[in-house]
Amino acid sequence: MSAFFKLLARNRLALAGLIVMGAVVLLALLTPLLPLANPDVTDLGNRFKPPLSEGALLGTDHLGRDLLSRLMWGTRLSLAVGFAAAIIAATLGAAIGIIAGFYGGRTDNVIMRGVDMLMAFPYILLALAIVAALGPGLLNALIAVAAVNIPFFARNIRGITVGIAHKEFVDAARLCGMTDTRIIVGEVLPNVIPVIVIAMSTTVGWMILETAGLSFLGLGSQPPQADLGSMLGEARSALITNPHTSIVPGAMILVIVMAINLLGDGVRDALDPRLKSGALSRPMPTTRVERGAVPAPKRNALLSVQGLETQFHVKNRIYRAVGGVDLTVEPGECLGLIGESGSGKSVTALSIMGLVASPPGVITGGAVYYKGEDLIGAPYEQLRSLRGRRVAYIFQDPLATLHPLYTVGDQLIEAIRAHHPTPRAEARARAIELLKSVRIPNADQRIDSYPHEMSGGMRQRVGIAMALANDPEVIIADEPTTALDVTVQAQILSLLDDLRRDRGLAIIFITHDFGVVAQLCDRVAVMYAGRIVEEGPTKAILNRPAHPYTAKLMACVPELGQGRRELAAIPGLPPVVDALPQGCAFADRCHKVQDECRIGDIGLRDLPTGTRVRCIAPETTVSEAAL
Amino acid sequence: MAGYILKRLISAIPVLFGISIIVFVIMAMIPGDPATAILGSYATPENVEKLNRDLGLDKPMVRRYVIWLGNMLQGDFGRSFSLNRPVLDEVMDRFGATLVLAGTSFILCALLGIAAGVVSAARQYGWADKAITFAVLLGISIPSFFLGMMMILIFAVQLRWFPVSGMWPIYGARDLSALISHLTLPALALAVVATGVVARLSRAAMLEVLRQDFIRTARAKGVHERSVIWRHALRAAMVSIIPVLGVQAGFVLSGAVYIEMVFQWPGVGRMLVDAILKRDILLVQGGVVFVAACYVGFNIIVDVAQSLLDPRIKT
Repeated sequence: MSAFFKLLARNRLALAGLIVMGAVVLLALLTPLLPLANPDVTDLGNRFKPPLSEGALLGTDHLGRDLLSRLMWGTRLSLAVGFAAAIIAATLGAAIGIIAGFYGGRTDNVIMRGVDMLMAFPYILLALAIVAALGPGLLNALIAVAAVNIPFFARNIRGITVGIAHKEFVDAARLCGMTDTRIIVGEVLPNVIPVIVIAMSTTVGWMILETAGLSFLGLGSQPPQADLGSMLGEARSALITNPHTSIVPGAMILVIVMAINLLGDGVRDALDPRLKSGALSRPMPTTRVERGAVPAPKRNALLSVQGLETQFHVKNRIYRAVGGVDLTVEPGECLGLIGESGSGKSVTALSIMGLVASPPGVITGGAVYYKGEDLIGAPYEQLRSLRGRRVAYIFQDPLATLHPLYTVGDQLIEAIRAHHPTPRAEARARAIELLKSVRIPNADQRIDSYPHEMSGGMRQRVGIAMALANDPEVIIADEPTTALDVTVQAQILSLLDDLRRDRGLAIIFITHDFGVVAQLCDRVAVMYAGRIVEEGPTKAILNRPAHPYTAKLMACVPELGQGRRELAAIPGLPPVVDALPQGCAFADRCHKVQDECRIGDIGLRDLPTGTRVRCIAPETTVSEAAL
Repeated sequence: MAGYILKRLISAIPVLFGISIIVFVIMAMIPGDPATAILGSYATPENVEKLNRDLGLDKPMVRRYVIWLGNMLQGDFGRSFSLNRPVLDEVMDRFGATLVLAGTSFILCALLGIAAGVVSAARQYGWADKAITFAVLLGISIPSFFLGMMMILIFAVQLRWFPVSGMWPIYGARDLSALISHLTLPALALAVVATGVVARLSRAAMLEVLRQDFIRTARAKGVHERSVIWRHALRAAMVSIIPVLGVQAGFVLSGAVYIEMVFQWPGVGRMLVDAILKRDILLVQGGVVFVAACYVGFNIIVDVAQSLLDPRIKT
C-alpha cells in the first residue's frame, strides 16, 4: 500500500489531481463555517454584478444572489450527490455482482441477462425514463444516476468474484461448514473491495457530471436549491449578456472532473504492472544506437558483424544481451548460430538490421558491414531499403509473425511491392510463383488464405516465401523449425538447403539443435551469455568440441539407436546478463573450472583444428588435435 | 455473411423484449394513478376514467404489458397529450434531427479519435503525444453542455462565424450549406468527449499491437514505417477499437440530449426533456423505446463491421 502511494506520488499529474480534489472537498466541507452571504437571498437591485465587485467577489446572478456563495454551496451539493450516487451504485452493483459470481449457474445467467439488457440502453435514456417516472428532483436524479451505473459495477465485480469463488481458500471455508453468507462476507468481500474502490474512483467523476447534467436539464435540483448543474442551467438564458454567471459554475465542474480523472488515471497506472516494466512503450522503427569507436571492416565479406554489443536498458538495470560478437558469412554459405535460450542469438540476429525492440534495446558498440557499408546507425531509409531486399528474415512461430488479418497473398504482395513498385496483378502472379517455389500445393488457391487457416508447416513456408520475395543475398533464419514437428522440419531444412545451393544465398541459421546444425550448416558459432565461445567448421566442432560448454550441449542431444547413452543435462543455469561474472561466464557450471577462469577477459584462441575457442583449458588440447 | 447477419438480428429480439419490459416496469413505478399523471392534475374524473379504460390501465400488469407491446408492434405508440399528435409521428420527426447531429458527431469522433490515438502512439512520449494526451484529458473532463455554451459565446457571439442555435435559418433557404453552418458547433461540442475516449483507447490498442511479432515482420520486410503504423498496426488495433466505437455511439446519443438543449436543436432528446417536464408520459415511453431499439440496431451493424474486419470471427 505504501509502495502504491509512492508510485502515485511519483506521478506528478495524479498528485496535482489529488491536491486539487482535496482542496475542493475541504472547501466544500468548510462551506457552512465560512463567512459567506446567504446563497438564496435575492437582491433584484444588484442583478448581474460583474466579478470582483464590492461585496461579491464573483459577482451576482440574475436574481442578485452572491455567486461565490452559490458556487460553494452548489459544489458541496454536487459533490455530495455525486459521491452518494457512486456509493449507492457501487454497493448495489457489487452486491449483484458478488451474488451472480458466487452462485453461478442459473442465478448468474438470469442476473447477467438483466444486466446486459440494462447496458443495451444509452445511459441517458434509462436515466430520463426513471426521472420521468419518479418526477424531477435532486433525489430522483441521484437515484437515476446510481441506477444507470449499477450494471457497470455488477459486471466488473462479477468477473472478479467468479475468479475468487473457485480459489482454494473458498473451498476450504466451505469444507469447514461455513454458511454462504459468512463466506461471502468473510472471504470474498475483502478480496473484492479494492476493485470496487478503484472502479468507484474512476467513475465518480462521471457520476458528478451526470447528476450535474440532469440538473442542467432542469430535471435535478429544483430552485431555490442549486447544484452546479442547475446553476449552469439557470445561467444559460443570460449566457450572451452576462457570461460570467455561466463560466463560474461550468469551470468548477471542469476542475472537479479533471482532478478526479487525473487521480483516477494515476491510480490505474499505479496498479498496472506493465507500466512499471516499460512493457507498454512502443518499439521504434530502428534500434537505438549509442556507440563509441566504430571497428574498421576487417576483410571484404558479404556480411560481417564485428564486436557487436546490444543491451537492454530497463529502468536502472542494464542487461548485456550481446557482449561483443564477431560473425561473417559468405555467399552460398550457411552459418549456424547455436546456444541455449537467452544466450543472445536472436538479439544478435535482430541487431543486424536494427530490428531489436527499442526501447528497451540499445546497440552500444560494434559494426555490421554489408558489402563494406556499416548498417549500425545507418539512416532509417537506407536500412529500410535493405530490409527484405538484401537481408531477409525468417522468424519462429509464423502464427504470431504473420499478420492475422491479411491474407498470405496480401502479405507476399506487400513484401514485393515494398521494394519493387509493380502492378498488383503482376505482384500476385509472382507471389503465386513464390508459394510454388516453397512447395505449397494449390498455391493459386492458398494465396487467398488467412494465416489461421493454414497448418504450422504451411505458414512457415509462407514465411520463407516472404523472405525470398526480393531475391535477398542473406537470409537470417531465427529458429524457423522449432515450432514444427520433425517431418515438417526435415522438409523445411531441405528446402532451405536447396535454395542456398540454387541461388547462392548466404544463411545465418539460429537454432538450439545440433542435429539441425549438422544437417545444414557449413560453419557453426556457439553462443553463451551473449558471447561466442567457440566457432569453426561444423565437422571439426561436431567431431571435437573444444569448449566444455559445446561438449555439454552436444551431450544433451539424444541419439537414436544409441540406447544406453547417458543424457547429460548441464547443471545450473546461465548467468543473468545484468550481472555477468568476471572472466568466463560458464565457469560456475564447468566441470574443469580453475581459479584463473574467473580473472580478466578471456579471448578467442585459434586451435589447429581450424576452430576458435574462448577457453583457458579447452577439451581438445593442441597435442590431441595433432593426432 | 447473410447467415451471420440473420443470426445477430434474431439474437436482438430478446434484447428488444428486455428493453420493452424494463421501460414498462419503470413507467409502472409512477406513483399514484397513471392516467392522472398523463392527463395532469386538472383532468376531470370522467376523462381519467376514460383514459384508464382506453389504455387498459384497469387491467392487471401482465395484460397491460401485452396490450402495450401489441400496440407498439402495430406502430401505435399512443398519443401525446401535450402535442396532441401520435407519439410515433413526433418521435420519427425529431429522431431525424438527432440522427443528423449524433451521426455527424459520431463520424467526427471516430475519425479524429482514431487519428489522434494513432499519432499519439506512434510518437509515444514525443511532444505530439503529450499535446494530444493533454487535449484528451481536457476533452473527457469538460461537460459537453458547458463546452457548447462556451462555443456559442466565442464562435457565434464574439466571432460570428456560426449561428447561435437551431437547425435551420428562420428565414432563407433550408439547403445543405445552411445545415452545415448550423450543425458545425453542436456537432463539434458533442464529439469532443467521445473523441477523447476513442483517442485514449486507440492509443492503448496501438501500443499493444505495436509490440506484436507481426509488426517486426512487416519492418523486416522493408515496409515503410508509415504503412507499418497505418496499415499493419491500425488494422489489428481496429479489432479492439470497433467495440469501443459501439459503446461511444451510446454516449454520443446520450450527450445529444444536452447539446440539443444548449443549441435548441429540434431533436428527440429535447423532446424527451420537454415531455418529462410536461409529464407527457406516453411521449417519454415511446421515445425511449424507439431510440433504444435504434441503438440495438446500430450495435448489430457494429458487430457485422467487426466480423468483416476480423476473418477469425466465424460468420
